[in-house]
Amino acid sequence: MSGILPRLVRQGLTDLALHPRASIGAVFSLTLITFLVGLFFMTLVTLDRQLGMARVETVFQVYWRPGTDIGRIRSAWAEYLHLPGFVAVKTYTPEQAMAELGARLGRSGASAGQLFPFLPADSALPATALVSLVPQGPDPEKWAKETEAYFRSQPGVARVAGTPVRDEMGRAWKNVSRYVIWPSVAFMTVMLGLTVGNTLRLLVLARAHEIEILQLVGAFNRHIRLPFIVSGAVLGIGGGLFALLLLYILHAQIAEVLNFPPLFLRIHFPPPPMSALLVLAPAATAAISGALAVKG
Amino acid sequence: MLRHNENKMRLPWRATNLVLLRPLPYSLSRMIRVRHLSHSFGQHQALSDVSFSLGKGEFVFLSGPSGAGKTTLLRILHAALPIQRGEAIVADFNLVRLPSASVPLLRRQVGVVFQDFKILPLRTVEENISLPLELRGLSDTHMERRVRAVCIALGLEERLKVKCRDISGGEQQRVAIARALVTNPKVLLADEPTGNLDPALSLRLMELFKQFQTYGATVLFATHSRELMGHYPEAHVMHLESGRITAANWPGAGVAHALRAGALRENFAVPGPGNAR
Repeated sequence: MSGILPRLVRQGLTDLALHPRASIGAVFSLTLITFLVGLFFMTLVTLDRQLGMARVETVFQVYWRPGTDIGRIRSAWAEYLHLPGFVAVKTYTPEQAMAELGARLGRSGASAGQLFPFLPADSALPATALVSLVPQGPDPEKWAKETEAYFRSQPGVARVAGTPVRDEMGRAWKNVSRYVIWPSVAFMTVMLGLTVGNTLRLLVLARAHEIEILQLVGAFNRHIRLPFIVSGAVLGIGGGLFALLLLYILHAQIAEVLNFPPLFLRIHFPPPPMSALLVLAPAATAAISGALAVKG
Repeated sequence: MLRHNENKMRLPWRATNLVLLRPLPYSLSRMIRVRHLSHSFGQHQALSDVSFSLGKGEFVFLSGPSGAGKTTLLRILHAALPIQRGEAIVADFNLVRLPSASVPLLRRQVGVVFQDFKILPLRTVEENISLPLELRGLSDTHMERRVRAVCIALGLEERLKVKCRDISGGEQQRVAIARALVTNPKVLLADEPTGNLDPALSLRLMELFKQFQTYGATVLFATHSRELMGHYPEAHVMHLESGRITAANWPGAGVAHALRAGALRENFAVPGPGNAR
């Protein structure tokens, strides 16, 4: 009897090759649904990390008027290092800002005139500073307003963009996240299970004739189910891995698209445990669905 | 028209190969016992009060026109249909009280050949025939030996590695028969197994079934071919019409008027070797 198990496992694998259209269709469906669930996870993770970060850190972007004395600006930057709750500061002189812009436009080293020939020759980008601070005192909202007023009062400052919107979202998120994240993950997992289950049921239906024959020659249900469990697990892993690859490619393209003032949202890839869930959940649900779809 | 004896002389089989398939001695003397079996599909009464019993090594033709209930009876006997009324015991399995988990155990004792083959077209001849052996966990060497033996007997040895979708209907039928025989079943149920074969091949296959009978297998062979039955005048025949046994030529059949072979032939125009039509 020892030879049955490896044979049935091998049969589960070779069955995939015997029914290439059905197998490809199933992997395609699994990839799409897992990709959608992955997108949802990515959104959740991004909200949680970025808005969660707002609870401990607020970013202000300070713009100076063009032509303001750079010495005065540099002394203001030095002053920021001693602000209460200081975390980090990132600064751009007009030249650095232009170089950064040129690099982003794919024309490193180009002057303002070369980048924007339609603008007057003396046009320049403003000096800027991105200051990250930890909110002080019991009322973060009041602190944010006062700090913004402080930056605005400095000589030569044209505009201050804070992250109060994000802060408010962060506070809102803090309130709802505990009720949202895990129920959402559970809901998406159930949805994934149902969809994968139906996909596998279709695959089993396509092979009903084969199941009937196996039953007629004296196969126990476990013998019929095992190849479907193996096939389901392989299809699930394949679909999950493809979805993860698509998600990775998408993430590489959109990671920074919301990282601008006043949002400063960096899109995060689902962490390893969640990524593993994206492969293991479809594999497990496909394997279970394969077993359940074969009725006794 | 081929005559039984002439055909036997021409058989290319090597009977010694079948020694490999010789079953173990059976402990039961009655392999199939059916009492007052009735079955209906909605308003249609497919079987009515059917009773008979078959002993170890008996061979019985189940004759009757289409719709007489032959297939229903065979399906009940391998637990593909539940028993609605009456009782049936097959290879010591009481089908009335058979739990679903035990159905595979019954089917391992009962070989079934269907008119519509029921083979896997995407798998090779060898894979189809070895399917029931695989499920029993036999070693590759043992499986190969048995599959080869039955394939030689059925003239399929050259087609072992060919996918079943690429072989002829007659060959597919032989694959189905080989799959039923390869496990040495105690009981062999055949539903028009020669329906897709030419007369010569039908007779060759009949010889194989008869050989199994001599090894102790009980064979219930459904057919409506009088010509085929005519080649075996000594065989037992049970005639079904509208779900009832209307005639039979051996005492095991539960009909009051058990008939002798000659009388059955006269009553139902079953041709003998001399008057095959």
